[in-house]
Amino acid sequence: MIPASVLLSPQVLKEARRRERRVAWRQTRIAWLFIAPAVLMVALFLLAPVVFNVILSFTKWQKFTGIDQFAGFNNYARLFRVPYFSEALGNTAVWVVGAVIFPLAVGLGLALLLRNIPFQETFKSLFFLPRVLAPTAVGAVWYYVYAPRGVLNSVITGATGSPFDYGWLYSPDTVTGSVIVTFVWQTLGITMVLLLLGLAAIPRDPIEAARVDGASSGQIFRHIIWPLLLPTVLVVTILNVAAGFTTFDLLWVMAGDYPGKRTLSLAVYMYYESFSNGAWAYGSAVAVVLGAMVIAVSALLAVVQSRVSRNIR
Amino acid sequence: MAVDVTDKQFIAGLIDKERRAQRSGGRWLVLPILALTIAYLTPLYYLFVTVFKTSPEYARKGVLELPDSLAPILDNVVQAWTIAHLGEAALNSFSYALVGAGLAVAFAAAAAYGMTRLHLLGANGWFMLIFTGTLFPFQMYLVPLLFGYQRVGLINTWFGMLLVYVAICIPFPLLVLRNSFSAITREVDEAARIEGASEWRVFISMIVPNAVGPMIALFLLQFTFIWNDLLFSSILANGIEVRSIMVALQSLQGTYSTLGPNVVITATLISSIPTILLFIALRRYFMAGLQLGTK
Repeated sequence: MIPASVLLSPQVLKEARRRERRVAWRQTRIAWLFIAPAVLMVALFLLAPVVFNVILSFTKWQKFTGIDQFAGFNNYARLFRVPYFSEALGNTAVWVVGAVIFPLAVGLGLALLLRNIPFQETFKSLFFLPRVLAPTAVGAVWYYVYAPRGVLNSVITGATGSPFDYGWLYSPDTVTGSVIVTFVWQTLGITMVLLLLGLAAIPRDPIEAARVDGASSGQIFRHIIWPLLLPTVLVVTILNVAAGFTTFDLLWVMAGDYPGKRTLSLAVYMYYESFSNGAWAYGSAVAVVLGAMVIAVSALLAVVQSRVSRNIR
Repeated sequence: MAVDVTDKQFIAGLIDKERRAQRSGGRWLVLPILALTIAYLTPLYYLFVTVFKTSPEYARKGVLELPDSLAPILDNVVQAWTIAHLGEAALNSFSYALVGAGLAVAFAAAAAYGMTRLHLLGANGWFMLIFTGTLFPFQMYLVPLLFGYQRVGLINTWFGMLLVYVAICIPFPLLVLRNSFSAITREVDEAARIEGASEWRVFISMIVPNAVGPMIALFLLQFTFIWNDLLFSSILANGIEVRSIMVALQSLQGTYSTLGPNVVITATLISSIPTILLFIALRRYFMAGLQLGTK
């Protein structure tokens, strides 16, 4: 047996530390190999394009003209001159608010209704069904739901008895609202499932205690259920805010015939200017503005979320 | 009020009363929920009856009326299939989704292993670098990718399209797998390492088998994302030999289309079959994947 004094002598310790460092260095080199594919792919195909997008937005690049001409802030100045941009901005705001409020309100109502009824699982699956379809497919189906001779008008005709052939997707008054309804239709199921999970995690005891003390259902919801559900509500909000800013497929597919298509949202406006008009530099300026807004709002929500979850603990 | 909690009969009575109250309240609610469900499912019902109609039949009848026979679906499928080259497009999308999601989850798993199990200088920095890839809206990638792809000749190629999908599908699985791998006890790989196993060996036979569930869920999530993509493929690969199923579907639809709604609707159904089948077969993983999406 080796005496402890030898085991812990400075020389042995130094040797051990050196060996440890050698192992660590060897592991670091191996670790580089493990992370290399992911890092390279993301850097080349996601991060480099973002940087390049910002650079492009300061050039005059468009179809048939050079990328080498510097435009300064001209592309950004133009954003505020053209009416299309401000219209698209306004509609994007409508989208963000609509995509947050409606799925939450309807989903929460539905989740509370579905909580204690028989066949809960069946209803849950039925409401989840649209989520399995691709947004492009959903858009194509709802295009015919809103068509002048489509499903919605035929239901209205049947209910009122007088023929009705309104073009829901052709009028600026109804096009945004109509597509938001389709968005809610597709995302209601997942929102509801998430809220049901959040509701299931709320302990029953305080609710029972409040009820025994004579609290009304409204009071119980406001003072017990809502505060405990708030983290789930915020998660759903964060998801839907991002969707509200960037939804593209549904709008592009459903409003293909709408003359003011480019004003439907910033995501559509960016696509339209870049790829239908070939104004690439201008399109990338729109993308930069959109990106800045998405990141600012997401960061704000993340701060709120961490505050809320800290308060609950 | 003092209650004797050992009184079994009293407790049973309470439970029974509560259950009865719940059930009667529940029964009363079923009717409005049923009505809501029917309204909610009307578009799907419309889809279902329309695929069995011929074009003249669709024009003649009310949109929600039942079809005369089931036979026209065959002709609708043939039309959609030949006009939009749906077969080719489906094969393209299937290969993008299968290979793209597979590679993305594999790369993410390897990176997660390197960040959580190995001594890696600046592991958090590397993670943040990749995670930055989820911050930006897709609209910021489009123009630069188009430019770069035109320069290097990747535009309208299967391989070029695949690369973009792989890159987009890496950051989120990395976030999830980093958490899953951290939860696996350290003793597992320390023991294997003492036995002389290489890092690759530890990764493949110790860590990956312990995270199969989340990896399948992530694969399904990314498979569905790639299959459903319209935005990237409509710009980077819209040639008829490489285009995705969603681009093909979109080409059928809209003002310039002379096809009847019955054919277009049939095409939407065809384009959704793989994700519907996946959902039915692997519902457990699918639901798990969606919940991953919120953490």
